[in-house]
Amino acid sequence: MNISILLDFALKGLEMSAPIAFAALGAVFSEKSGVINIALEGFMIVTAFTVVWGSIAFQSIWMGLLFALIAGILMSLIHAVATITFRVDQIVSGVAINILAIGVGRFLSQRIFAQETQSAINPYLFPTFHGINSFAFALIPIAFISWFVLYKTVFGLRLRTVGENPEAADTLGINVYLLRYAGVMISGVMCGFAAATLYPSRWINGMTGGRGFIALAAMIFGRWHPIGALFAAMLFGYADTFRIMFETKIPIPSQFVQMLPYVLAIVVLAGMVGKAHAPAADGKPYEMGEE
Amino acid sequence: MLKLKIDKYRLYELLSPIIGFLAAIIVLLIIVIVVGESPAKAVSAVFKFTMSTTARLATVFSIAIPLFFAGLAVALAFRAGVFNIGAEGQYFIGGLVGAMAGIYLRLPAFIHIPVVVLFSMIGGALWALIPAILKVTKGIHEVITTIMFNNIALALVNYLVNEPLSGRGTSSLEAQTHEIRKTALFGKLNNLFRAIGWNVPDHVYLDYSLIVAILMGILVWFLLFRMRYGFEIRSVGTSLDVSHYAGIRVKHIQIGAFLISGALAGLVGSQEIFAIRGFYTFEIASGLGFEGIAIALIGRNSPLGVVFSAILFAFLKQAGYGLQLYTSVPNAVIYVITGLMIIFIVVINEIMTRYIRALRKKEAG
Repeated sequence: MNISILLDFALKGLEMSAPIAFAALGAVFSEKSGVINIALEGFMIVTAFTVVWGSIAFQSIWMGLLFALIAGILMSLIHAVATITFRVDQIVSGVAINILAIGVGRFLSQRIFAQETQSAINPYLFPTFHGINSFAFALIPIAFISWFVLYKTVFGLRLRTVGENPEAADTLGINVYLLRYAGVMISGVMCGFAAATLYPSRWINGMTGGRGFIALAAMIFGRWHPIGALFAAMLFGYADTFRIMFETKIPIPSQFVQMLPYVLAIVVLAGMVGKAHAPAADGKPYEMGEE
Repeated sequence: MLKLKIDKYRLYELLSPIIGFLAAIIVLLIIVIVVGESPAKAVSAVFKFTMSTTARLATVFSIAIPLFFAGLAVALAFRAGVFNIGAEGQYFIGGLVGAMAGIYLRLPAFIHIPVVVLFSMIGGALWALIPAILKVTKGIHEVITTIMFNNIALALVNYLVNEPLSGRGTSSLEAQTHEIRKTALFGKLNNLFRAIGWNVPDHVYLDYSLIVAILMGILVWFLLFRMRYGFEIRSVGTSLDVSHYAGIRVKHIQIGAFLISGALAGLVGSQEIFAIRGFYTFEIASGLGFEGIAIALIGRNSPLGVVFSAILFAFLKQAGYGLQLYTSVPNAVIYVITGLMIIFIVVINEIMTRYIRALRKKEAG
């Protein structure tokens, strides 16, 4: 095996990992604040559309990114309002948003591009580096910033407290709702970044392909830690890259190679030593005490 | 006096699905107006496509059958506090196992049909087994494992149908199994309906899967509300701690409910496989497992409720096609409405609960 194939693999793998990793980082923020977010898939369906639409409409990928971030925040607000303000079951809200998002993507595509299943081609892209989307490199600093924010700032400390022990946080005068809104909205922002690395040259119905769910598995496998989630997401991303690059050279049916990341996820989750460290109040709605 | 009050509260609770549905319909009408269509035209398109003729109405019921299985499967799991997002994978596997029994076993029809139903259920249950075990022994959330199993199922079925079980004819481009034996095919009930005066045309599928659906609905109702095991399932779903103290084997119940849920999910594809196509392919309708979640929620996890919500969803699906055909509103709008409807229902339900609590507080003092 020569160096250029190895470099190709390393870079392509990073590009493939990026959307999963961004979504997984988003999941970390949401769940650290105590809100389970299975709507990442839905967020990404919509942000993936808006990044393409925004780029074409304003002839700049940066505008596309901006619209992806706005769309991510708007989608996350639905989840936040339903689960934090109205304390609706977080998984139910997530399922509903995922269904809603399929409709939003296809509806907008039909209205704007006159085709329900795909958009027009977007020629305004980030510059490429050795054939990959250079925005994928933003993943590394953003993952470290996420770690810094969560573990080295007052905001991060408060966010984690709200997810571990909202009663205590409330007693200390921390606004539980506000921090949980922040956690969920950051997951929307991250799904905006995810869209910018997914496939910004065209929106296709079903293009997210379950990456939002894989991101959740990556977050759990990464033990609700940003850097852990980053590496877990890279495991999935590189497994997929391996499949695409070497499928024809491996003597096993391609469908089994396709299953690999999912089987890997199950095995890894089943074999995780000790208890998984979910935030103690993850998934539990909280009602703030009255003044 | 007191009894009357309790009834009033129950009424509030029952109101939320209705208000949620109406709110979603209002949003739909707003979208119709924004798109530049007249609401009257949209309403007539929906009416025309869903209930203007016997055939249209029968089609709605036909579409409701697989949706009912999906909703019932998810609802039963919900009752035990299990979130089965894996109905999707369970019916792809269940359908294949059932189809195998239909292709490779030689039996007289009166045994063969129950056998393929049973095999479909076993297939679905088996696909739920590992997530069920991982949930109770390792505490791994079933939402994650079942989603992984959905993806594994699709790849596995794709492989099996393309390679070892392939029966691809020269006429078909899409990978498929051999034809299912005549003895295992689901016949139509259309003649029966005609005999009682309901003129269901031949192209509409109201077949044996309808009988299976009714049977399963009754069995699940009986299990949940007339059997000790069902009481334990409901108890576990209501409170794990209380059930534990009451001596109920919580893990045992959750695994059981998960498997029964998988077995019911195994039947989702049965109409398409045994009545419509007559062979198995991984091209059978997908996404019904996820719709099952919405159907269970709106049917409040009761068998009778699921009947109504499955029909409602079938109606919405057809309404979407009607809108697409007769107006410029895309079919996709139905997904938007469905998603919003679920959110509206749960949010309104929460508001009602708070309102009732406030009322009770006021009455108490």
